Amino acid sequence: MMSLHLDESMAHSRPIVTGRELSLGYNHHAVFEGVSFDIHRGEILGIVGPNGSGKTTLLRTILGLLKPLRGQVERDAGLAISYVPQRDRIDTILPVTALEVVLMGRAARAGALQRVHDADRDAGLRALALLGAEPLGPQPFRNLSGGQQQRVLLARALAADHTDVLVLDEPTAGMDAASEAGMLEFLRDLNRTRGVTMLIVTHMLPIVLNLATSIMLLGARTVLHGTVDDVLREERLSELYGVPVHLGIVAGQRTLVVGRRHAIDV
Amino acid sequence: MFEPVFMRLALIASVATGASLGIIGVYLAFRRVVFLGLVLANAATVGAAVAAVFDWSPEITSIGAAVAVALGLGLVQRPRRVSSESVMGWAYAAASSAPVLILAAVAAPDADTLHMLFGNLLAVSTSHTVGLVIVAVVIGLAHVLFSRRFLLVTFDAEAAQVAGVNARLWSLGLNLLVGVAAAAAVHEIGALLTFALLTLPAMTALLLTASIRATFGVAVVLGSVLPCLGLATSFYLDLPAGPASVALLSISVLAAAALGSFSSSA
Repeated sequence: MMSLHLDESMAHSRPIVTGRELSLGYNHHAVFEGVSFDIHRGEILGIVGPNGSGKTTLLRTILGLLKPLRGQVERDAGLAISYVPQRDRIDTILPVTALEVVLMGRAARAGALQRVHDADRDAGLRALALLGAEPLGPQPFRNLSGGQQQRVLLARALAADHTDVLVLDEPTAGMDAASEAGMLEFLRDLNRTRGVTMLIVTHMLPIVLNLATSIMLLGARTVLHGTVDDVLREERLSELYGVPVHLGIVAGQRTLVVGRRHAIDV
Repeated sequence: MFEPVFMRLALIASVATGASLGIIGVYLAFRRVVFLGLVLANAATVGAAVAAVFDWSPEITSIGAAVAVALGLGLVQRPRRVSSESVMGWAYAAASSAPVLILAAVAAPDADTLHMLFGNLLAVSTSHTVGLVIVAVVIGLAHVLFSRRFLLVTFDAEAAQVAGVNARLWSLGLNLLVGVAAAAAVHEIGALLTFALLTLPAMTALLLTASIRATFGVAVVLGSVLPCLGLATSFYLDLPAGPASVALLSISVLAAAALGSFSSSA
């Protein structure tokens, strides 16, 4: 595990989630060893790496769904974490509407015997409206497109009265370019206006290039943690992915091109 | 037809059993573990066989066996190399052969023991009918009070766990209900009808309905009514009651599938 320097303001604030000397894996088989990290309030942390690099293992450990083989993950007491899984992990056999899915976000934080009240329904509709998905409310969840289902799952996470940390696993999977841009803009606004800390796991580097404030790059049994500019270097990415990776700026946005440079005749 | 006391008891027992297994069956269908019902019904039969050998209470022993298997399947982590269906298949095979082996080791079973093992709706006693009604009331109450929690952990156990719900505990609680319902039913109506009631009303309901409430409602009505029609059929046509009920339940699935195909093509 190597920690590169973080943004100054964050490096001096108290972390809300910390991991120290973690050994992570399944069935006594370590995928990573000696992993340490600090996650600060207001941070947008992109967890990236090639397929099979252990992103899900790290995420599940941070969420408390998987016990580290060694070491400990500590979270601030009372920290409200909401998890938005990959939509294809959700079984659509349940005949529920989109609004009913969103209301599950409130039910999870309420008592086991608590019923759904009008206030819950209003909060659910507000969460859908935030994402421009209010018309989806009465529709069967299983009939929605992949992008719409992803928005409903995000609305479920936001329907709770309070969310400190939003954890998103491949949040733009199956979305077209316009929907993807809209989702990233929404997440950026959410972070800016409500100060929600975000952990975004993706195998799509371009997703986090212009969104994340820090990056964890997972390689072959190594984890690099630092700012986007420090971690995402052309030579490092080219070596990790085994293909030439080029970084540049287009229209004020970081861009990434994979493959050999060649001229295009126009 | 319902003049003889045994027919009235059979009617009450089939309504109570059909209602409770109808509710439980929907949860099993949502969790895609319908085979669990068959495993637990057979585990209850093992318990009855053990009780016959040691002269213990067959009701308590079989409920204990079903609950132990239900909890065991929920608590023991399956090896990653095999699917949960394979584990269920193993449990079913083991539980099917065990009663035969256990009884082969003792003297030939008498009629009462065979009734306990394989059930006979027309021979159900008053005290057992009362027991089935109590089980149905408990399951109905548990459903009314905790359905939101059960559905929450069924839809997305990991997000519920992250939000602070003890998903494993609630899943175990649901397994416990399945065990009690299957064990209570299998003595009176046999493993075949128990499994049919755990599977077929829920399947028909899923084919006919588009909401959770309607799915549970239709499953309960079909589970309660069709075995009564099976009793009537057996009375007038001189057929065995259990298979007649299973045949009607099977026909209801085919009718619902045909109706669904007709509606979608119209």
